[in-house]
Amino acid sequence: MKFQKPGLIMLSTLRCIFAGIITGTLTNCILVLLVMLLSAPAGATAMDDMTAADMNRIEDPSHVRQGTLLFKGEQDFSRAPILRTDVQINVTGMIARATVKQHFRNPDTTWKEGIYVFPLPEDAAVDHLRMHIGQRVIEGRIQERQQARKEYEQARSEGKKASLVEQERPNIFTTSVANIGPHEEIVIEIEYQHVVQYDTGAFRLRFPMVVAPRYIPGQPVTPNEITVDTFDGSGWAVSTDQVRDASRITPPVLHPGQGKINPVNLQVHLDAGFSLQHITSSYHNIDIKQENETGYRLTLGNNTHADRDFELIWTPEPAEQPRAAFFSEHKNGKQYGLIMMLPPEQTSGEVLNREVIFVIDTSGSMSGTSIVQAKAGLELALAKLKPGDRFNIIQFNSYTELLFQIPQPVTHQSLRQAGNYVRNLQAQGGTEMATALQAALNQTTEHAAVRQVIFLTDGSIGNEDELFRIIRQQLGNSRLFTVGIGSAPNSHFMSRAADFGRGTYTYIGKVEEVQEKMQILFNKLQHPVLTDIQLTWGDNLTVEAWPQKIPDLYLGEPLLISLEAASLPETLHISGMVSNSKWNSTMKLQNGKKQTGISVLWARKKIAALMDQLNSRTEQDEVRQMIIDTALAHHLVSKFTSLVVIDVTPARVREEILKSQSMPVNLPAGWEYEKVFGQLPQTATGSELFLIRGMLLLVTGLLFAVFSRKFTRCYACQV
Amino acid sequence: MPVRFKKLIVVGLLVVLPLCGVWQIGLGSYIHAKAILAQFLLETAWSETLKGHKEVKPWPWADTWPVCRLTVPRLGISRIVLAGASGSSLAFGPGHLFGSATSGEYGNTVIAGHRDTHFKFLQELKTGDAIQLQTSNGGNIRYRISEIRVIHETETHYLARTDANILTLITCYPFNAISAGGPMRYIVIATPEITNGKMI
Repeated sequence: MKFQKPGLIMLSTLRCIFAGIITGTLTNCILVLLVMLLSAPAGATAMDDMTAADMNRIEDPSHVRQGTLLFKGEQDFSRAPILRTDVQINVTGMIARATVKQHFRNPDTTWKEGIYVFPLPEDAAVDHLRMHIGQRVIEGRIQERQQARKEYEQARSEGKKASLVEQERPNIFTTSVANIGPHEEIVIEIEYQHVVQYDTGAFRLRFPMVVAPRYIPGQPVTPNEITVDTFDGSGWAVSTDQVRDASRITPPVLHPGQGKINPVNLQVHLDAGFSLQHITSSYHNIDIKQENETGYRLTLGNNTHADRDFELIWTPEPAEQPRAAFFSEHKNGKQYGLIMMLPPEQTSGEVLNREVIFVIDTSGSMSGTSIVQAKAGLELALAKLKPGDRFNIIQFNSYTELLFQIPQPVTHQSLRQAGNYVRNLQAQGGTEMATALQAALNQTTEHAAVRQVIFLTDGSIGNEDELFRIIRQQLGNSRLFTVGIGSAPNSHFMSRAADFGRGTYTYIGKVEEVQEKMQILFNKLQHPVLTDIQLTWGDNLTVEAWPQKIPDLYLGEPLLISLEAASLPETLHISGMVSNSKWNSTMKLQNGKKQTGISVLWARKKIAALMDQLNSRTEQDEVRQMIIDTALAHHLVSKFTSLVVIDVTPARVREEILKSQSMPVNLPAGWEYEKVFGQLPQTATGSELFLIRGMLLLVTGLLFAVFSRKFTRCYACQV
Repeated sequence: MPVRFKKLIVVGLLVVLPLCGVWQIGLGSYIHAKAILAQFLLETAWSETLKGHKEVKPWPWADTWPVCRLTVPRLGISRIVLAGASGSSLAFGPGHLFGSATSGEYGNTVIAGHRDTHFKFLQELKTGDAIQLQTSNGGNIRYRISEIRVIHETETHYLARTDANILTLITCYPFNAISAGGPMRYIVIATPEITNGKMI
């Protein structure tokens, strides 16, 4: 018995090895053949799926594969100036006046120029620039853009400390600071003012903190073709034929793995003028301190970095809900006014059948938390559709894809199909918005009385003006409602697109808000709209009021008018149409509250309106000159005017080198870096892992065979 | 009862373990078999391409086609490069990135390949080595390796368009890592040899 044992083990081992080798080789051969054959039908099905999807896919050959220019430039930011921002916002009534202090610190032993691209609210009137060098403070002056740049560049080359604030978009600005000495800190102070938003009974203050990466469609242009002045090596996107200033609106983005930069201290002093029911900060922790009956001091928690919008919401006690307001200012021999009036709520008339086109952005920038919010919003909107309505869903990234070729009636079947479609949406690729917008505006409209386009996007694109042009020209009888998604949406795009589209805009910044924010939008969609609003000023006075064409007002939205006149008119008569019946109201403009800054708001409104005309009217030079005149008269930064400040004493001797560096920004919270900037291809297979695992399993099996023999044998002995 | 139960487990394991092992080895060697076999099939498709046919599919259901041939004379390496660097084309050969310059065109020609199959040889390349690309019109471009480095997968500017004519080869790093999906990449940059102002 004993002697037989090793023989048996040998035998079973050999048997096992042979079996392993033979079955292994055989299986491999069979597998190779099988899978080669099997992959054929698999490939064929994949192709069938492709053609099915392709049927509803719109490809514009001029757009496809061109705009994916989201390549990132320099990696090493260790020597770029370091930024810290202090923000103080004072809210009085409806007006917010903010001071933003940007601290530029040079961590290096060489001289630096820092270039920082940052956002401000899209209606911000920037009217002051100050440069702090140690204890000294130098006040900036407003100049035409080219002139300001020339002065700044001359001071830079002469070794003088200088700073320049330019506007790239209504909500994107650039601060340049030249000649920051080794280990020195220079503080740039910017002041701006704007009107807080009042909608559906709540006041909202928004302070954006980061310019999100923008998709730049179009063909790249070489530097000598660019007409706009560019700075070297600062932006990561190449300027294209569609976005000529792309490199100015795309600051380099720090990889989230390298931590967060650009800390922010923010304090709000809020005096609404009435007692409050609630104050909430939507996306940040804040400390709230009540100072008197209507005054509050709010401080942002420590350790905040510029990676998302700050939003403060306050609601008045129901009894104190303001229905109208009038603020005025006397300046340079002229009277200025700001009028707010909330039209009374209209009872909803007959329910009309609607045609609703949902457009959802599924580009790479939506990846992460944004697409979750957008899908939730869309699913909620689908559930609100009624029998008799028609709908369609359009998604876009590098391509535009329609769920149905034409809008379909609401049925169980179509809703189920839509539900599946939405669930399977994935965010990746470029943001070719123009094709999607055209598809949404140009679909048939015969069936419905009301046509609504609901557009869910983060607006991370650089070609706003082109998109506005499409909306203006092709709107027809559609109404466009933008829903801004994510932590740092492009507010300029959201609000202007809704203006041109005669709709409204809504922001969703976190998934918890979807229900509430979408409900506000649904209420607006279901209630009648106040249209064709006309203003008549009493006493036959010449009044210059902006906006000249009053936008349609949806439920809960106030009328906002800025005016300039030699003397204030006594009355304002307002008329409009609500579902085919006339509506009238008269306001007595007396005893308005005196407040400084009303003139600045008027000028900012005027510039905004003129900028729209610049894109549509032919006499462009004339409009341009009007913008420059208004901006210079009111000391305002605009597309054509910049603030510049120069210290007279040279600091850097010519022999020392000045290095210009663009300052990195954070990736907005919730975004996925790789989905925006791409990643190098995956270039490894799992073959080695498979082989090693297989070998290990075989060896274990072998050992097990040996031991189990021993075990069964011994067991048999005992019996 | 417990005896029979134990026996069942023993027998079960005796069958299951080797079977799993065989299955895994099968998967592993299948990848290699496919990579080697495909290159043979591609030779035919490539010679068709050289005859002037466009986008010759190496097998009827293929979603890719050969675009150029890459050779390294010093190592005796020859690879047919496929269109696109998706997982499905990289299984059969190195892939030419859509959107990067096509071989022979001015700009940055980017080719990626698996570090354990077609681009395993990248670890043996040295600065100064010659690389040749045979383009679909039969022309040959000779490159010299100017730079070899290890980078992170997010450094996508290596894919960016360039004004100068360069060839960029990409594979995963480290070469002997057991599992796939690591964040490091090994890249080889080569510039064309210029004689009398013309590329050869």
